[in-house]
Amino acid sequence: MSVTTAVFEQPAVLQPKQHGKPGGFLRHTNIFTGLAGGIVFAAVVYMIGSKLVPWGNQNEDFSQIGANALIAATMFAWVIGFMAGIGAFAGPIRWALGHDLTHDDAEYMAGKGQGKFRYWKYTTDHKVVGTQYFVMVLVLLGVGGFLAMLIRTELGWTWGELFDPNFYNSIIGTHGIVMVVSLIIVVTGPLGNFIMPIMVGARDMAFPRLNALSFWLLFAAVPPLLATLFMGGIRDGWSVYQPLATQAGMGMIGYQVLIIVFAYSTGVASVNLITTAVTMRARGMNWSRVPIFVIGIIASSVMGLIWFPMYQYSQALAMSDLILNSSFFNPVAGGSVWLYENLFWLLAHPEVYVIVVPATAGILELMTVFLRKPLFSYKLAIAGFAGVVGISAIVWVHHMYMTGFAPQVGYPFMLSTELISIPFGFLVLVALGTMWRGKVWTRLPMMCVYAVIWDKVIGGITGVYLSDVPVDQYMHGSMFVVAHFHFMLMGAGLFGAMACISYWFPKMCGRMLNERIGSIGFWVAFFGFQLTFFSMFVAGLQGMPRRVLQFDNAFNVSNWISTIGAYIIGIGMLIFLYAIITSWRGKTWAPANPWGAKTLEWQTSTPVPLENFPVLPVVTSDPYGYGVPDPYDAIERELAKDDNEAKVPQ
Amino acid sequence: MSIITPPETDQPEEPTARPMPTHRMKEYLSRSYVRRILIMAVIIMAITVALGWVVVGFMNMTGAPASDIMGDLEQTVLIFTIASAPLIAITLSTIFYSLIGWKHSSGDEPPMQDSPAIRTNAFAVIVWITATSLLAGFLVVWGLIELATITSNAYGSVSANQQPNDVKQIDINVTGQQWVWSFEYPDQQGITSDYLVVPVNTPLYFNLTSEDVIHDFWIVELGVKIDVNPGAITNTGVTPTKLGTFNIRCAELCGLHHAYMETKIQVVTQAEFDAWVRDKGGMKTA
Repeated sequence: MSVTTAVFEQPAVLQPKQHGKPGGFLRHTNIFTGLAGGIVFAAVVYMIGSKLVPWGNQNEDFSQIGANALIAATMFAWVIGFMAGIGAFAGPIRWALGHDLTHDDAEYMAGKGQGKFRYWKYTTDHKVVGTQYFVMVLVLLGVGGFLAMLIRTELGWTWGELFDPNFYNSIIGTHGIVMVVSLIIVVTGPLGNFIMPIMVGARDMAFPRLNALSFWLLFAAVPPLLATLFMGGIRDGWSVYQPLATQAGMGMIGYQVLIIVFAYSTGVASVNLITTAVTMRARGMNWSRVPIFVIGIIASSVMGLIWFPMYQYSQALAMSDLILNSSFFNPVAGGSVWLYENLFWLLAHPEVYVIVVPATAGILELMTVFLRKPLFSYKLAIAGFAGVVGISAIVWVHHMYMTGFAPQVGYPFMLSTELISIPFGFLVLVALGTMWRGKVWTRLPMMCVYAVIWDKVIGGITGVYLSDVPVDQYMHGSMFVVAHFHFMLMGAGLFGAMACISYWFPKMCGRMLNERIGSIGFWVAFFGFQLTFFSMFVAGLQGMPRRVLQFDNAFNVSNWISTIGAYIIGIGMLIFLYAIITSWRGKTWAPANPWGAKTLEWQTSTPVPLENFPVLPVVTSDPYGYGVPDPYDAIERELAKDDNEAKVPQ
Repeated sequence: MSIITPPETDQPEEPTARPMPTHRMKEYLSRSYVRRILIMAVIIMAITVALGWVVVGFMNMTGAPASDIMGDLEQTVLIFTIASAPLIAITLSTIFYSLIGWKHSSGDEPPMQDSPAIRTNAFAVIVWITATSLLAGFLVVWGLIELATITSNAYGSVSANQQPNDVKQIDINVTGQQWVWSFEYPDQQGITSDYLVVPVNTPLYFNLTSEDVIHDFWIVELGVKIDVNPGAITNTGVTPTKLGTFNIRCAELCGLHHAYMETKIQVVTQAEFDAWVRDKGGMKTA
């Protein structure tokens, strides 16, 4: 009898030839070469362009065709120059030269051995990109919040015009688009990039270089947006309806450049997130063991990937109207304003779910940890997200009930709008069921969850009114709508993101978030929020239109209350920001798993090493194995006696 | 996750019948937290329904609704509030009870004791899905019927032979431009005005267009709103039922002086309307 042993030989991986030092060209590029490249290329294009298309060129409507074209070319040149300067095109050029990446190159690009300076470079490590997104989001939210304070100051100043009306209109538009952009990335940017790959047990994202590309494209797109404030502004709200947008002139160019570039950034990021979650899960993590946060990220990315191109088309066509004198949206020359509105809302409604869905998934994820309970009805939660993604595609016209472009479409879109409350209801039941009979560990992230559910209830019931075409006939375009979507986007989206950030902060930043200061900030902001937007509901119901800077004396009191509330939000947010900054700079090091959670990202060390795991994990169960009753444990058996639910098999 | 209970004896267990649903409900209600949550839910439901009236109160500061459409709107708001009150009540009472009722722990370390492992509950899921679907279905049906009614009243989609003969509809051409409204009465020899004067209890039919950008024609107290688009004509209609002076505002951002683009509508008696038309140079209407 002989024993045979099989020997599996691993063939040596062929490494391409190393050309020069690891990293090659990227050793010399960083954000400063990027800035230099952007400024130089923009200046060159501006000088050449002003010879070809003089600034003063006007069309027969006296539109500034020449200036618009020049500004557009300069801004795109800035973006391209910046991306070239930071080294975004190094990869394709290497391929063209036949220099494949070696392992050392890849490690250099992931920031190995570069210390803190890797945050200023085109670094591919998903943790670096996540941190970059985090800082970017904080800056953008700060800008948007400051503009919100200006708006509320004007509206509380009921005895005169504080600002020039043009400036006021442009801060409304800029506040809107800055907040929309920052809320779209506030969860999927920092947490989707940093946490999600670790959560599924991957070493990095599927396409690390696209990951860096998505962040630096966003970075490059922000200066054109902020430049608009000095170029006539975005005077038409964030929806920039045509043909009013054409009157805003050069300010609109910055907006359009932002959207066109940002759409590439989100597209690249969405592809990356979806591919990572679908193909790079750890061994054993089948689809019934995926954490619900990952499902939320996938759902949000799918919606962004499908619908962002619509927004991009609408802005590309609008830009062509401004610089090529075309007339897609100019009714005098045969265009259609309704075409613009449809293209715009085709994205702009799913965008709301792009914001709310990942925040919701994040709070479902952390609820299980702080309640020490499994997620209630995992399959129902997935059905809820799937339903939201599916129906989100067919509800956009509810923003256009009152445009009159086809009164009959009110019927089907009222149907679909009210149906989307059913999958959202699934998610509510999942949250309530997870809460049911759970002993709460009252830490900041969990307390945020209560605030978020409260806000969602208020936003939900006011949404029921607005979904109805006849009632919308009264409420459309009034302050009621403004208060409603702030409850959804800020109350559920931003506060949900604050819950997620305070939950994952120990893993991302390596320190515990200062709970006391953070809680004070959060609750001050929360109560200011209620004050602001409940009185805004009242103003809207009394008939105050949105986007005005002066109004009837009947609305004075509610606007004063709103303004006071807005300042309280501002103070609360500053306290929360202070908590983040001091905790991040502090020395309260976080243990690897401070919350006792069971998902994979808490099982690796903090700070997370370069490739996340020393040995890739193998998953044997879903991450919600809390409170599994031990049959030999007398206490558990006592609990199980009156526990009808536990007897229902999974 | 089923519980594996070690058998107490070697004897096989007695087969037990599945309890009847009524029994299960009774068993549920015997739990103190279920009773407390239900009591809280009833209180919250009452508050929510009361808030429905507050909403309607703010919508109409001048007392009774000023038009047929406004009456329908207020009714819809109340019905929707009542219909969604149970779900709101269950949600809020559960989160409140979670905060105050079930035990909680604070401290830096994760709690040692886990909560019961409730993976799912088919009964709760089925009841919830059914209830929310019925609610959404009710809202849709109510909304569709309501919309059909308002559309037939407002947009003049009732066929001509069904129009009551004794009521004459007044057509009004509305033009929006940055940042004024102007009105033309084609049936009254085309008199023009920059504010509206209309007789009470007479159907009004608006043809609206814009000279420059999109505006939105909103008669606040009458509950009428429609976009005013350049290069297109939109229509809407309403029958004012109350005398008084009401506000017309622009509800779509239209540029520099959007905030000041407002005017008034005076709803007067037929005699006063005729007098006004004569003053404006038109002839007396029938």
